[in-house]
Amino acid sequence: MSLLTVRDLNKRFGGVNALAGVSFSVDQGDVLGIIGPNGAGKTTLLNCISGLYRPDAGDIRWEAASISGMAPYRIARLGIGRTFQIVRPFPSMTVRENTAMGALFGRPEGRLQPGAALGEADDVLELVGLGEKRHYPVLRLTVPDRKRLEVARALAMRPRLLLLDEVMAGLNDVEVELALQMVRRVRERGITIVLIEHVMKVIVGICNRALVLNFGRTLVEGPPAEVLKDRRVIEAYLGQRYARDQQAPPSPPPNGEGNDRG
Amino acid sequence: MTFAVGAVALVFVVLAPITSTDAAQQAGLPLLTDKLWFRIATTVAMFVVMASGWNIIGGLTGYASFGNVAFFGLGAYTVGVLVANRNWPFVLALLVAPVVAAVFALLVGIPLLRLRGHYFAVATLGVGVAVGEVVNNLEPLGASTGLTLPIVRSDLVFFYLMLGAAALAVLTTWIILRTRFGYGLLAIRENEEAAAVIGVNTTFYKVAAFCIAAALTGLAGGIFAQWNSFINQENVFAISDNVQMILMAVVGGAGTVFGPVAGAIALELIIQTLAGGGTSAVYSQIGLGVLLAACVIFIPRGVIDFFGGRSRLSLRYFRQTLRETSA
Repeated sequence: MSLLTVRDLNKRFGGVNALAGVSFSVDQGDVLGIIGPNGAGKTTLLNCISGLYRPDAGDIRWEAASISGMAPYRIARLGIGRTFQIVRPFPSMTVRENTAMGALFGRPEGRLQPGAALGEADDVLELVGLGEKRHYPVLRLTVPDRKRLEVARALAMRPRLLLLDEVMAGLNDVEVELALQMVRRVRERGITIVLIEHVMKVIVGICNRALVLNFGRTLVEGPPAEVLKDRRVIEAYLGQRYARDQQAPPSPPPNGEGNDRG
Repeated sequence: MTFAVGAVALVFVVLAPITSTDAAQQAGLPLLTDKLWFRIATTVAMFVVMASGWNIIGGLTGYASFGNVAFFGLGAYTVGVLVANRNWPFVLALLVAPVVAAVFALLVGIPLLRLRGHYFAVATLGVGVAVGEVVNNLEPLGASTGLTLPIVRSDLVFFYLMLGAAALAVLTTWIILRTRFGYGLLAIRENEEAAAVIGVNTTFYKVAAFCIAAALTGLAGGIFAQWNSFINQENVFAISDNVQMILMAVVGGAGTVFGPVAGAIALELIIQTLAGGGTSAVYSQIGLGVLLAACVIFIPRGVIDFFGGRSRLSLRYFRQTLRETSA
């Protein structure tokens, strides 16, 4: 049985169909990469899974049970952790305290007291490479470090599934490499990962499957290398004309300009 | 050092009223032996309860309630009705007051705590005003005439009751800040969605904080009703009291245990001093307003933080707190 199964998921905002029937599943041990142009519905999908949005139609299953529309805190305690694309630390707390919050509230099994949670935080901070900065106030952290902190706080929950929303966006090459190593260490702990990413190097380098969303629909799904070569994917990112030029130059005069889906 | 001074002051405050008038005069301690000072000290303790109560929902949880005075009024009217109309003993009625306030907080909290920021502030303000108006028009509650309770003449009893309530409020805050519950409230204040996705049951935590705040405030209201022996809309549902408790908590240091205490003592003493100032009181009031505005702008973390350790009275302090609190 799959760990997470999403079936025909729909989410509307006014007249916009942010998600218009997305289906996929994630198995234990998978690293699934979700890509797609801006506005494709990637973050909306994550928000539906983590319970911040209530889907309009469709179903989300965690193993056998439906979690669609469940309160975020209950989904978190089932073992689904997530990070935010725009980081959301608790600003008055230190790095260590921020991380401890995940351990304090997100554990599926048993409750921790504040002291024990701080001890757990140290362990996780070593894993993400923030061990030496654990007593910093978060406001002193750089952007890459704040992204690591997002991951640390989610990891402290001991999740079985980790949803990462663009943890590499805005990082330079060296920082991306470090972040990649971090995600690999997380994977080695046996945590299943779903990540949204625009950096293709990451998708190819770490994911065993990739899912392409466009206008709220599943465009292509499969092994990353094949998916990135798919004509429909190139079209979605760069427009029909570019895709045509790439495949059969010289091109005939265009009768539909650019991306006619817009 | 600070602790020693505090301890001496505390012992004095607690014991001074018991010593006889003569003994106090001989020792040169006139403070708590005359009636006016009793009244002021009891009022200060009352505002410590209200400011601490507000601090639990406004300071720790980040939901600035402008309707907490409704809990004060409900507590007062609970005691008023039970004592004046039903002839209950005061002590029994006083136990019911916090319960009534907390139940009301539960009922209005569930819908209102879905709102955030200004919307929550305005909605609670509306509730505060509305409850006062309803009470003002209900015949069994004395309507606009108010309720008169049998007079109990004992400055000492009410001083200790209020002091006990203040101690309870401070202790409650202190305990909350050391538990999982308290960390959950702080997480909600700092980023509610982040709190939710790491497993904080945000709705339950917010409503619980609101109910605790309401119970404490209702307790103060209940004591006030018997102490003052007369209650009406104007003296227990005053929006100005609500503004005052917020100012005290914020000026003292919202989100801290002793901030609201420091704020309540400082502001109430200033207000009492100004009240006796005659015509110059108007100018003093303006001065107070400027002082409060300056406090909120320049030491947004309150006087407790300002005097509490980090570098003080330096441009660096002001710049840093400004940067950290303006988000």
